Amino acid sequence: MYLSLSIDLAPGETGAEGFRSFTTRLRDIDAAAPDLVILGGERDGAVVPGRIEGLVNLPWVTGQIARAAVAAALPALHGLPFHVARALSAIDFVSGGRAGWMPVCANHDAIDRAYGAAYAIADGDAPAKYDDFIRATQALWDSWDQDALIIDKARGDYLDSAKVRRVEYRGPYFATMGPLNAARPPQGYPLLVRDLADLSSASDLPADIALLDVESVAEAEATIVRLRQAPGTAGAVILLKTGGAFALEAAMQVAGADGVHLTGLPDARTVAAARAMLPATPESDGTARARFGLAMPTNPFTQKALV
Amino acid sequence: MSRANGRLHLWAFLQGIGFFPGGWRHAQATPEAVFDRAYYERMGRMVEAARFDAIVFGDQLQGRDAAGRTPGRLAIPTLDPFTLLSAMASVTEHVGLVATVSTTYNEPAEVAAKFAALDYVSQGRAGWNIVTTAHPNSPWNFGETELLEKSLRYKRAAAFVEAADVFWGTASGRKVDRAALDSDWFQIEDTLDFAAPPQGRPVLVQAGQSGDGRDFAAKTAEAIFCPAPTMEAGKAYRDDMRARVAELGRDPDGIKIMPGLALVIGGTEAEAHARHKAVLELADDVLCVEYLSESIGYDLTQHRLDGAFPIDDIVAHCEFPAGDVSKMLAPAVDAGTSIKDFCQAYARKPRGHGIFVGTPEQMADHMESWIDAGACDGFTLQPGFMPLELEVFCEEVVPLLQHRELLRRDYQGPTLRDHLGLGALA
Repeated sequence: MYLSLSIDLAPGETGAEGFRSFTTRLRDIDAAAPDLVILGGERDGAVVPGRIEGLVNLPWVTGQIARAAVAAALPALHGLPFHVARALSAIDFVSGGRAGWMPVCANHDAIDRAYGAAYAIADGDAPAKYDDFIRATQALWDSWDQDALIIDKARGDYLDSAKVRRVEYRGPYFATMGPLNAARPPQGYPLLVRDLADLSSASDLPADIALLDVESVAEAEATIVRLRQAPGTAGAVILLKTGGAFALEAAMQVAGADGVHLTGLPDARTVAAARAMLPATPESDGTARARFGLAMPTNPFTQKALV
Repeated sequence: MSRANGRLHLWAFLQGIGFFPGGWRHAQATPEAVFDRAYYERMGRMVEAARFDAIVFGDQLQGRDAAGRTPGRLAIPTLDPFTLLSAMASVTEHVGLVATVSTTYNEPAEVAAKFAALDYVSQGRAGWNIVTTAHPNSPWNFGETELLEKSLRYKRAAAFVEAADVFWGTASGRKVDRAALDSDWFQIEDTLDFAAPPQGRPVLVQAGQSGDGRDFAAKTAEAIFCPAPTMEAGKAYRDDMRARVAELGRDPDGIKIMPGLALVIGGTEAEAHARHKAVLELADDVLCVEYLSESIGYDLTQHRLDGAFPIDDIVAHCEFPAGDVSKMLAPAVDAGTSIKDFCQAYARKPRGHGIFVGTPEQMADHMESWIDAGACDGFTLQPGFMPLELEVFCEEVVPLLQHRELLRRDYQGPTLRDHLGLGALA
């Protein structure tokens, strides 16, 4: 079973000493061999953006965490698709295709206040904006074909112009022309991680990885059956949140679960103990998609999903 | 500044594959490597070993296409600067990390959070090259259709930096005026809970050229990245900036003028010129035409390259302001110069920066003479192509600069503020 957890800077980890402690913690967690590390905090049981901005933190973290997939929790209702698509393209390249993103609506009131009056949004409107944010970002990744780059020095051909395009995305909240000034990420799209406890759960967008809150084995199994029929989660890796109301031992009994997400921002010892208990996952030095057995996304402009 | 910190500051501008548009085709260029972490780690370590102040990456907020056609012969993908600097932070301990970020299509909360993150993971090495966005295609990527007028862009930039500083000050316990959160441009109710940036905030860098830009830089910047094609131009710019800074009651030594300088180095002068010629020749006609096409937002590749500029069609359809484009092409139109000949000349001197061609000894002389003349406080080096030209500089010119006691032999502190001799924030 897959093993996931969240990491955030603790309030006490300040100054040079705090930085050393944070770095050591990351390396110890890496040694415990999780499959997914989410850069984010927790509030009321939901994943929220962390205390170190996720997109800037992620490239640094992948220098400390050498093998696991690493996903950044981001504010879904405040970011701009062009910036996010551009950053995640570079992040996926420099992390060797191990990057993921987890746009969240949780804690949006506090973030609204920091972004300003224009960003205030009613909870009921949040799922539609979440959806639009992700679709616009993915459209920008689609502005490049996976095989657009040629890089033939002798011929002087750098890329195939026919494989880069303006996408003219128009949604209810976001419009963006493209093309992106960055190539399509090695994974096509970096992994999309969703917390089903988040306000965004009303969205039907297909997730690569979904975190599920349950309180019993029976509830978990019934929910997984339902999620396997739902468009947003039919093909997703489903991870059960454990550590709170639901124990790791119980999660291991759930038919159809792909793994667990340890809540409570666990330390390395807890992660190692969980790793030792869970059925092993295959070793992976490849991309996050390869680790989780997820297919490459199809580019709608070419209908191709190159590996 | 202490003598041990040197009189000459060095920054490395490591955008893409280097300064010359055709440089990616050089036998010793490594264009594929710009997508690899290992390349950035190696560059970061090399620049740190050579005791540079900082590494700088530029940025754009638009695709590189001209009227929808993306060039096929230019090495265009330049990766997100925060990402590259964060990756480099994981393998270095001293060198500063300067990201170019626009105040035009961003929000103070997000930019403040990102620079706090970069400053935290680098433990005090972040710098912000503050720019405004003037490319006509950029608004379309952010749901808008019109650019902000120039003076308004600078007004927004000033309000943006002041608001961002409230976020940093609040996180790091520094005294700030929260009134800046509520301005003509921003109505911010509260700051974010993020890790305190060890420097208090990033070092503020600017690239102002126009009157508005210079005023903004004089008020805000601690270092300036600018073009200076000649020593005289550099001295005039530095004198003007120092005067503007002094007029505002700031210490003129608190702002470092760091003009761009491209370089091609050879063992002999003849060898350097041969290398320069060779790298220029790698830019073939179509590449040069694509390069100018991007600069005017009009696809010239659809026309006969040995023909004249179709100026009426260009003026009617170019994406950049027609007046600017007409002025730029007027010499070619008046003289009947062909598209390819004009584009070849244009691509030889990209972006108005000085180009040094010569031996390591001559380069050290060149740098020393500019410092002695008060034409700059150092240079933002733009290697002709990567990584070779930077490697040659670090191996052959840096020891000469250190021997002359122009460049530090060791860092005098861990932060970018230390390298620039700026002192702690008040």
